[in-house]
Amino acid sequence: MYDVTKPEHDVAQAETKISARGVQVYYGDTHAIKDVDVDIADKTVTSFIGPSGCGKSTFLRCINRMNDTIDICRVKGDIRIDGQDIHAPSVDPVQLRAKVGMVFQKPNPFPKSIYDNVAYGPKIHGMTRNKAELDEVVEAALRGAGLWDEVKDRLDTPGTGLSGGQQQRLCIARAVATQPEVLLMDEPCSALDPIATALIEDLIDGLKKQFSVVIVTHSMQQAARISQKTAFFHLGNLVEYGDTDMIFTNPQDERTENYITGRTG
Amino acid sequence: MTLIAFLILFVAVVIGYVLNLRAARALRAGGTAMHSLDGFHGGYAALSVLIPTFFLVVLWLLFQGTVIEMLVKAGLPSGQLDGLGTGEIQLIMAEIRSIAGGRIFGEPEQWKLDAAERLVSLRAISGMLLIATTAALAALLLYRAHRRVSADFRARQGTEGMVHGLMVACATVAIFVTIGIVASLLFETIRFFKMVPFWEFVLGTSWEPQIPLREDQIAAEGAFGMLPVFLGTLVIATVAMLVATPIGLLSAIYLHEFASHRVRSVVKPVLEILAGVPTVVYGFFAILVIAPAIRSFGGELGLPIAPNTALAAGSVMGIMLIPFISSFADDALGAVPRSLRDGSLAVGATPAETVLKVLFPAAIPGIVGGILLAVSRAIGETMIVVMAAGLIAKMTINPLDSVTTVTVQIVTLLIGDTAFDSPKTLAAFALGMVLFLMTLVINIAALRIVRKYREIYD
Amino acid sequence: MTDATTDKFDWAAPTFQAGLRKRKRNQWWLKSLGLGAISIAFAMLLLLIGSLISTGYYAFTQTHLEIEVELDPGLIRADAPERGNYRQILTNTMQSLFPDVPDNRAELRKLTSILSNGAQFTIRDMVVADPGLIGETVSVTVPVSDPYDQLNKGLIDPDTPEQNRRLTNDEIANFNRLAEAGMLSEPLNWGLITNADSRFPELAGLKGAIIGSAYALLVCFMLAFPVGIGAAIYLEEFAPRNRLSDLIEININNLAAVPSVVFGLLGLAVFIGWFGMPRSVPFVGGLTLALMTLPTIIIATRAALKAVPPSIREAALGVGASKQQVVFGHVLPLAMPGILTGTIIGLAQALGETAPLLLIGMNAFITSAPATPFDSATALPTQIFIWADSPERGFVSRTSAAILVLLTFLITMNAIAIFLRHKFERKW
Repeated sequence: MYDVTKPEHDVAQAETKISARGVQVYYGDTHAIKDVDVDIADKTVTSFIGPSGCGKSTFLRCINRMNDTIDICRVKGDIRIDGQDIHAPSVDPVQLRAKVGMVFQKPNPFPKSIYDNVAYGPKIHGMTRNKAELDEVVEAALRGAGLWDEVKDRLDTPGTGLSGGQQQRLCIARAVATQPEVLLMDEPCSALDPIATALIEDLIDGLKKQFSVVIVTHSMQQAARISQKTAFFHLGNLVEYGDTDMIFTNPQDERTENYITGRTG
Repeated sequence: MTLIAFLILFVAVVIGYVLNLRAARALRAGGTAMHSLDGFHGGYAALSVLIPTFFLVVLWLLFQGTVIEMLVKAGLPSGQLDGLGTGEIQLIMAEIRSIAGGRIFGEPEQWKLDAAERLVSLRAISGMLLIATTAALAALLLYRAHRRVSADFRARQGTEGMVHGLMVACATVAIFVTIGIVASLLFETIRFFKMVPFWEFVLGTSWEPQIPLREDQIAAEGAFGMLPVFLGTLVIATVAMLVATPIGLLSAIYLHEFASHRVRSVVKPVLEILAGVPTVVYGFFAILVIAPAIRSFGGELGLPIAPNTALAAGSVMGIMLIPFISSFADDALGAVPRSLRDGSLAVGATPAETVLKVLFPAAIPGIVGGILLAVSRAIGETMIVVMAAGLIAKMTINPLDSVTTVTVQIVTLLIGDTAFDSPKTLAAFALGMVLFLMTLVINIAALRIVRKYREIYD
Repeated sequence: MTDATTDKFDWAAPTFQAGLRKRKRNQWWLKSLGLGAISIAFAMLLLLIGSLISTGYYAFTQTHLEIEVELDPGLIRADAPERGNYRQILTNTMQSLFPDVPDNRAELRKLTSILSNGAQFTIRDMVVADPGLIGETVSVTVPVSDPYDQLNKGLIDPDTPEQNRRLTNDEIANFNRLAEAGMLSEPLNWGLITNADSRFPELAGLKGAIIGSAYALLVCFMLAFPVGIGAAIYLEEFAPRNRLSDLIEININNLAAVPSVVFGLLGLAVFIGWFGMPRSVPFVGGLTLALMTLPTIIIATRAALKAVPPSIREAALGVGASKQQVVFGHVLPLAMPGILTGTIIGLAQALGETAPLLLIGMNAFITSAPATPFDSATALPTQIFIWADSPERGFVSRTSAAILVLLTFLITMNAIAIFLRHKFERKW
């Protein structure tokens, strides 16, 4: 099934990392996501845009099964990462989430030291054999998040003491420390000032060398700046999906056009 | 008499309201522009009659007993009370009171009969005076309030001012209760320390308030060293916390992290029932079920177990505290922002790891506050220990032994004894002071921790 | 990029899979421990209620004996029926039932001890009410005394050795003859709530305690409710944020956590010691309970007031109402269901409170129900305490039954509170 599905738009330059078919999400009686099909490429930044409440965040949370943690939420449909069905009984959400990192809207460092924040994932997964290896992983993750130089002298101070932008980069470091293959970002800059936002955007551009990055954003400029692919959600439907340039310059669907030109919000 | 006084007060309030309301209406009907609504004029009159008169009646009732008693005592033939202790004087006064109440036992002396007669007449006079004063004051206030009805009288401000004053008075009642507690404990405790040296009480290792040990002993009533009592309290509270803390915390963790909505909606009310059971019921449960069970279990193991073992009282107290700790811990876990939980789950932590490594550490201050409050409850809990713990103070930390607690001693020392001048009675107040101070320190610390904690995540 | 990130971690490695299984197992343990903890709490509640019901239900019936009593005019004087020798009348009655029992004092006493000690007063009251009965033979149903009641309920096992039980073989045989003659009945024990306390378990009831508790709660409500609401309104709506209001706030929170026995000491020292109020009366009990309930009511009322959205206040203030008109006319009525719920829960706590009532002497032995709040009385929890302390076997089941009565009251009160909360719950 995986290899016969042909993407609607040309994404031939990168191999498909995530493929979703017929995804439905219900919140109690609300039908939040309606029959979404999408293929997300590896080593690419894909943005989900759309008016608030359109389901873009909900769909993002399907990819690492975070919706499982909400009692009233039910997910149907087929999502595969590297061809592996993430809802298969053999797949443990714990394992899945280690492979699919996530960064949230508001920075949420644990009330622990900076070091412990980053080391949390590797520690619980038993990814390192000794302290030296763990130190290495932490340093690599902090470097990867562009935070190493700012915090290397105060790794044992609380992560909550950092500035908002630093906290968010700490959360990115925490997510990349488990060496995931996909990085999900749920409006990672919405709580940040423009300078911090610019730093994170640069970072994302670097991260796409290693991961498939999926980012939800409500800023169309941001989507245009950082992503190669863009998906437009509206009222729980995936309306349009394609190269970012295409979506922003030549949208096929009227709804997309209205949204992009600012007629609907 | 009292009833009549209150009736007069009530009637005066109603009359005041109606009179002023009518007067105001009449003025308005006459075309005058009134500053305040008619109702406020009525309310003004009602309140300005009610408040002073009500306080007069209450004060009168509070003090008439004491004043009459003093008058009767002063009127006794001189010499009759000479050389008698307060206890004996109290007995005589009680006898006079019961004669006055028509219950005559044996053949009392003539002077007692006379005194009883005077008591009766004084009571009657007091009653009449009360009614007269109430009526006079109410009438005076009625008149004054009625005269104030006019177009530009600010009745609303007047009324609201009085209501405001009343509310302030209500709010300060809480302070007066605390002052009352401290004053009553302090007053009797100081009297106690006049009879028993402070250090003997604080550092003494023997508590035998019922038996005089040696002739020359101060107060010659027994030994008043609080250490064994204090130790017993700690033993039982420790047992209780050892039962309640793990069970309460584990229940909270399960409820918070693993239980479905339906399970929660069943378990929480059941725990609330457990919390709402009166302590006297737990006490009975301890002597009916738990203590015999522990005894027979210990018998099988060949352990010597005292009949009033600290283990029975402590573990039942622990059961009582389970819902207290679990609801506190559940609240504290719930107060940790959801984003932290999501953050932990998103890096692939299991729910167990999330709750143990992220939520629990983050909720520690709130949980500690709750546990401290539970400790304070365990120390101050009375009925379970009165019914299931022992009476004899022992310097032991063996939970299988029988120990006594501060609260048990307070209750046993005060049941059936009214004399306020024996060290036995006063010792209860000294113990009460110790108990109050201990729980106060714990409570303040706990409330401060809990409040600080809430501020972090609000 | 450093090695660690380029050198990808192998998620499918057997070591990782083994670690994952271990983590799952840990999770299972935590879950089981939690479930175990909850089960312990449940088991204890079941054990508590089960033990109360299994011992208490015996007290909801009472064995009665129907006897033909000859009201011998030689033993009752018509002009003073209350002074009659009713004990002798009962002895005669019992003797006539057992003609074969030797006519000596000890044997006769054994026979009359089948009847409750209150039986003679039951007959006396009948005769006093209708002196015309003198000389007649009337059929009366009277309670049997506690040991025989226990025997009839199967709580005394005739198979235990004679010296280990409270009734001898002869006594059991006598009683069985009455049973075979069909003179026994076991009706519902209304005496449990219509009688006052008594030294004899078969006669002891809760009437005095229930009325005493009701008076105490009434006094408590009449004081704590208005004062609590006044204080809460002031603190929530009017008080400026300053040292004083902070102090009051801390004070109230602390008062709510002060051990109840300390309130008892306060009541004893202040109300009884300084103001000279009488001991053992529900009025003083109510006063003491009011001081304890006050913080609960204040805290609940403040929460209810806080839940009224500010938009309501602003709307009313906007049309020119004074602050007090807003609070008393709009905010307070909206908050009332919440306030009532909190008050009922506070009163339910007060109803179960024992220690302070013990200290002010409401554990006296009083055989009549109080007529006013100023008469000596017990309260339900103190009555339970007294009965739990009584040596007679019959009081064990009475205690459990009294607890069940108390719990019924508490559950009713809480059910009302929950009903109010649901009925008037508002979503803003």
